[in-house]
Amino acid sequence: MRNFLTIIFLIPLTVHPQSSSFDFHSPENVKKFADHLFCEEDYLRAIEQYELINQKMDNDTIKFKVMLGYSELGFFSESNDFFRGINDKSIFYPDAYLLSFKNQLISEPGLIIAPSIISFNAFQMKSFCKLINISMLYEDKFNISKENFIAPFDAEELNSVSTFYDYKVEPPYKSPALAGLLSAVIPGSGKMYVGEWGDGITALVVTSLFAFLAYDNFHADHTTRAWIFTGLGAFFYAGNIYGSVASAQIFNARIDFDFNNGLELFLKQQNYFLPDYDFCE
Amino acid sequence: MENLKWRKSDISYEKQIHFSKRDYSFQSENAGEFITKSLANAYWFFISDVDGDNCPFRPTCSAFLLQSAKETNIFQASLMFFDRFTRDMNIAKGHDHYPRVSAGYYYDPPQNYTLNQGRIKYLPPAFIVDDE
Amino acid sequence: MIKVLEICYKGIRFSSHKNHFQFCLPYTFIPLYLYTLLLIFSSSAELHSQTEIEKQFNYAKKLYDEEKYFDAVTEFKRLLFFYDGDIYSYESNLLTGLSYKNGAKFSEAIQHFTLAGLNSKNIDEIFIARLEIIKVNILRRTTGRALALLDSLQNDSKFTGKADEINYWRGWTYIFSDDWEKASSSFSNIQSDHRLALLCDSVANDLYNPTLAKTLSILPGAGQFYTGEYVSGIISIGWNVLWGYLTISAFMEDRVFDGLMVGSLLWWRFYSGNIQNAEKFAIEKNLEKTNSALRYLQNDYNGKMP
Repeated sequence: MRNFLTIIFLIPLTVHPQSSSFDFHSPENVKKFADHLFCEEDYLRAIEQYELINQKMDNDTIKFKVMLGYSELGFFSESNDFFRGINDKSIFYPDAYLLSFKNQLISEPGLIIAPSIISFNAFQMKSFCKLINISMLYEDKFNISKENFIAPFDAEELNSVSTFYDYKVEPPYKSPALAGLLSAVIPGSGKMYVGEWGDGITALVVTSLFAFLAYDNFHADHTTRAWIFTGLGAFFYAGNIYGSVASAQIFNARIDFDFNNGLELFLKQQNYFLPDYDFCE
Repeated sequence: MENLKWRKSDISYEKQIHFSKRDYSFQSENAGEFITKSLANAYWFFISDVDGDNCPFRPTCSAFLLQSAKETNIFQASLMFFDRFTRDMNIAKGHDHYPRVSAGYYYDPPQNYTLNQGRIKYLPPAFIVDDE
Repeated sequence: MIKVLEICYKGIRFSSHKNHFQFCLPYTFIPLYLYTLLLIFSSSAELHSQTEIEKQFNYAKKLYDEEKYFDAVTEFKRLLFFYDGDIYSYESNLLTGLSYKNGAKFSEAIQHFTLAGLNSKNIDEIFIARLEIIKVNILRRTTGRALALLDSLQNDSKFTGKADEINYWRGWTYIFSDDWEKASSSFSNIQSDHRLALLCDSVANDLYNPTLAKTLSILPGAGQFYTGEYVSGIISIGWNVLWGYLTISAFMEDRVFDGLMVGSLLWWRFYSGNIQNAEKFAIEKNLEKTNSALRYLQNDYNGKMP
């Protein structure tokens, strides 16, 4: 009897090693899972998994992917915080260095003052120069010649970059003082000068109407009514001068806004001159 | 990392309300402001609330006057008001000019008209403003 | 061979006979019943260790039950990434979808409910997955889509036994699209005095009709009185009477221009204002009433909810 039972006992023992002792949470499996999440663009989840194994696996790709993931999610300061942990001997260090400038330009647009590094290859060096030059556009003081400014850029980028240069050096502002003066002479003309044709014509019509009503009522000896129309007309006239000055200022604000917007769009299209990293097959 | 993760959300069944309510409250610092606010309240109560929705802007012309008076002075505010009224009378307004509020009105705050260039906050046309 | 495995009572024994070593399992002292117990225990332990997958699933489900939805989704995704069988695929996808739904991430939720539906093993599971998609559409108020999905469920011959449930959710869809009468009739299809049918009926009867408010306002003030805004109505009447009187008296005295000015700039403004006001009050008050019904449903109703 015991012989029989023991043989039954021995069979499962030989079979046992084959059944799954699969560890979902082993570092290798966590890495596989994290890679998959990264390729699915589920960056926050991928970062969480990478950070679990970061200490155990001293892997340069993982560190760079975490920095990249934070940047894609829009957490630029976290991304740059992580950059500090990347070793400067790592193969991804030049890319991470460039990425830190992208993060900086998006979160706090301003001049980049930083040295280049020897481990840059030709493409990275070019990207670095492009970023430095572009960052100059965010400063109030801007004195660089056009040739030097457009030097690092490629042929298909030249058009946009030249336009940005021209806008920066000589923005097509309108003069608020001139707008006010024009409206003082001919009501509404200041607004038309700024490009507000509808508002300008309306102002001209309204002030003329009140002027006419005032004149007409004085003529017909309706003095009170005439004074009311004069008063209102005067306010519309003064209001229009004020409004012309204000609309010139708003116009100038729009020039600045369009410039910044256009620059941001251009940089997004060029991915801030960084290459497209493809970690997924 | 923990505070970056999304959490359980309190989904409410109620429908969102888009009507803006008049602010009848008094936040005046002196007698002058108190009088102006009382006049404004009276205007709103007896006239404006009853003659329908005639102003395509937000803030409305009367609210614009009050806010301008608070930010600058009564004289400058009245100039701003007359300019706003002229722009209101422009029958071709809006097309490609003013940003909008979620309820569809044009967004035209007084801060853009104080003649202080630094206070101007330009928004492109057809941009939808969240508050208000 | 058998000699080497030969089980014996004594310890190691060297047999000079034919030069064989014989190894013995020293279990002489273990009685038979205890031995049988050991046997059963070891084989059940072997069955237990096979379920790493089940452990992972239970872990993820525990996170879901604790409302840690982000982490639950992570663990379900981990399971689904490594596991290509189909015992857990349906439930994992369903619970992932529910986690996303509870975090108000509706498009991700629908994606996973669809996957759950593709991995379901029987009719009931397909139905549940499709219902969850409908419920998400209700919550984010894409009610047209919800109705279309309900119709396709109804027309599907596989689900003929589920007509009551379909009508129940159709009722909810109509509630969220603000059509309380149709909601009421959907619920009455289940049972003529269904609790929700009665609720929807009472809401529908309580609402003002905006078109009626506008029509009544042809007589100034009447629309506002209908919606309960008496003060506004009286003020409206006052202005309309005043400007109307001035306009008509101007025309009577042949002051045509004055009459036109007062009539168009003042009288017309207050007259159309009164119509607009009546409609606005009707809509505002209806919104308050429907929102309070929705609040009741969300907080105090204990039937099934989206």
